[in-house]
Amino acid sequence: MGGKVTCTLGEVKNRADFIVYWGGNPAECHPRHFTKYTIMQKSRFLPRGRKDRTMVLVDIRETKSVKAADIFLQVRPGKDFELITVLRAMIKDQPVDDSAIAEIGLQRSDLEDLVARMKRAKFGVMFFGMGLSMTRGKHMNSAALLTLAAEMNAFTKFVAMPMRGHGNVTGADVVMRWQTGYPFGVSYHRGYPRYNPGEFSTVDVLVRGDTDCVFVLGADPGATMPQPAIEHLKRVPTIVLDPHVTHTSRLANVHITTAPAGIAAAGTAYRMDEIALPLRPAIDSPYPSDFEVVRRIHEAIRQKPDWRVRSPWIERQLDAAH
Amino acid sequence: MTNTPKSPELRVIDHATCTFCGCVCDDIKLHTDGNRVHKAERACVLGKAWFLNHTAERAYPDAIVDGREASLDEAIEVAAELLYQADMPLIYGLSNTTCEAQRECVALADAISGIVDSHTSL
Ligand code: SF4
Repeated sequence: MGGKVTCTLGEVKNRADFIVYWGGNPAECHPRHFTKYTIMQKSRFLPRGRKDRTMVLVDIRETKSVKAADIFLQVRPGKDFELITVLRAMIKDQPVDDSAIAEIGLQRSDLEDLVARMKRAKFGVMFFGMGLSMTRGKHMNSAALLTLAAEMNAFTKFVAMPMRGHGNVTGADVVMRWQTGYPFGVSYHRGYPRYNPGEFSTVDVLVRGDTDCVFVLGADPGATMPQPAIEHLKRVPTIVLDPHVTHTSRLANVHITTAPAGIAAAGTAYRMDEIALPLRPAIDSPYPSDFEVVRRIHEAIRQKPDWRVRSPWIERQLDAAH
Repeated sequence: MTNTPKSPELRVIDHATCTFCGCVCDDIKLHTDGNRVHKAERACVLGKAWFLNHTAERAYPDAIVDGREASLDEAIEVAAELLYQADMPLIYGLSNTTCEAQRECVALADAISGIVDSHTSL
């Protein structure tokens, strides 16, 4: 779980009586989250379902999710980190300046009420979306919120969970953690995995022009990345695997059509709480799966002479094995 | 749930999994004839659109190499050569795909001494 203070959605469904959505709009982006996992579910511990649960929404503007919430806190854009820090102080009864609260755009009474409710809860959960993790402060915001969740455990059970977006991004984190020890932004240039977001994260690598060949799978950077990154994609050989001819395919040297995962290709995907689920395809696609194509490319490369740099220790291990 | 070749026969797939959003609902009931999904019970609007918009139709060529249609075998050869020749290859994406493919991508990054990165870094 990467050190997060978290739980599964099954636990949320059965036990969470206090649910916070922070910087996300589940009503439109995760339509079944309310009904399947959180506020609408009745359980053994919360037999009255919605009535036994409190939902708080924290966001910079009113979204469709406001209707579902009991409490809506409108925070000034870019002030999430400040709000989390104030809450961390308030739960520990530390003094907080009026100016600090005014800066966030909220009332002291709202925050006192929130803190009291958080402490009264039997099981609290905070879901945080891209409104928190992709705005000013980025991963520092997520880290602060996870710390708040950890600190709340001095008073009651509290957890936090990221609201992951499209497809199987959670699976990418899990698989990379399993294979390399790190969740993303991993380099094998020295023959062993190294992790350094900012150095090995895609946008930075592309904007600096640090790569001379890009292999894209299950994403469309040509449509979503900043222009300087796209310019570099155009300059270097690019290979795309996708069920559709995408923006990236149009500027790529090689496009290979693959079967859409979960609809025509079987396999495994991870839910946002890191539970693995089997995919049950319904369509007989004329195209091969991503797995099959990557495996064949890997196989074709293995046929070529190996040029990788190895440490003397690894050389000795390989010699001993042969 | 065997992968029978294309037949107009309608089958029902219970407990199918939707991967459109992070909820990854695994209680979807799909009515399919193998060519397209006719009904996606219990899926939300986004999930329904996701399932109903894909068909088994051959809408695109197997592969495109430098702007012209190519066979899968040729495209794999060209892709392998490009990645093999590169000094600093980058493997990116890994969100709309299976864990099996993701694992294979990490192995590929290892084999070509490249970078592997996902959507998470954005
Ligand atoms: S059915 Fe809707 S809520 Fe469930 S995974 Fe698909 S898109 Fe998300």
